[in-house]
Amino acid sequence: MPRHRQKQEKKHRESEIPVGSFSDIAFLLIIYFMVATTLVKVKSITADLPTGQKQPQAQLDKTPTVNLRGSEVYFNDNKLTLDELNKRLDALDLSDKPGDKRVVMLESSDETPYELYFKTLAAISANGGVVALVEEEAKK
Amino acid sequence: MRKRGRKKRKPVPIPVASMGDIAFLLIIFFMLLSDFAKDRDLPIELPRSQEVQKTKATVAARVAIDENATVYLDGERVGGAKDVEWGVRALLARTVTDDQRHVQFKCDSKLSREKFEPVLKAIAEAGGVIEAVGEQP
Repeated sequence: MPRHRQKQEKKHRESEIPVGSFSDIAFLLIIYFMVATTLVKVKSITADLPTGQKQPQAQLDKTPTVNLRGSEVYFNDNKLTLDELNKRLDALDLSDKPGDKRVVMLESSDETPYELYFKTLAAISANGGVVALVEEEAKK
Repeated sequence: MRKRGRKKRKPVPIPVASMGDIAFLLIIFFMLLSDFAKDRDLPIELPRSQEVQKTKATVAARVAIDENATVYLDGERVGGAKDVEWGVRALLARTVTDDQRHVQFKCDSKLSREKFEPVLKAIAEAGGVIEAVGEQP
């Protein structure tokens, strides 16, 4: 076989990548993602818990304090319900006050359930308060 | 006079050459924007409150405590509050603004304070802004 003919034949061969099924694969992947994806709508409250040192006692006395004892709520040592707490916090107009005046102390006993804690946090945050957690003194 | 039905319409070819490109663009879009929920199947009964709102912030980390008081950070089980603090601190190390420091916090509604408060404090100590997750009643 002459050499120049061999060369000609080689030129005629065209290699093609089969891409016909690419779109099918792609759409299958899309359907997979669309079926497997769940758009999670998370609902939450933003609780701003500043970190810092203990304030002097005089200043602590002026700061509104919410105390959770078991399933009971106390605001400045007065027992009340969550609705009443909401009204009392609303009356304080915390959102209009500067940063350090918006602090609400949150104290709780060991047996306080998270449900009540969360509702109290939500009430304080909704009324513009900044929550400061009160730590128990280390037992001597 | 024209006879009906004689005129044959030419078949109109639908251009499908770019379908693959569009499809792959959509795949890339989904892959980039998908954020797989890592703590969906944990046994957590969320607390209920009227005040909860749809979370607007993008969270930098997810902390969860299930009904057995097991603590999870981004879906991985961790030892306790100290591990959460170090983990969150590491995740927030590159953040600049407060908007980037939101940490999602999920906790079972029946857990007592002694179980969840150390974790809350750990997140606060690490510089996180807590997004406490709840449900509407």
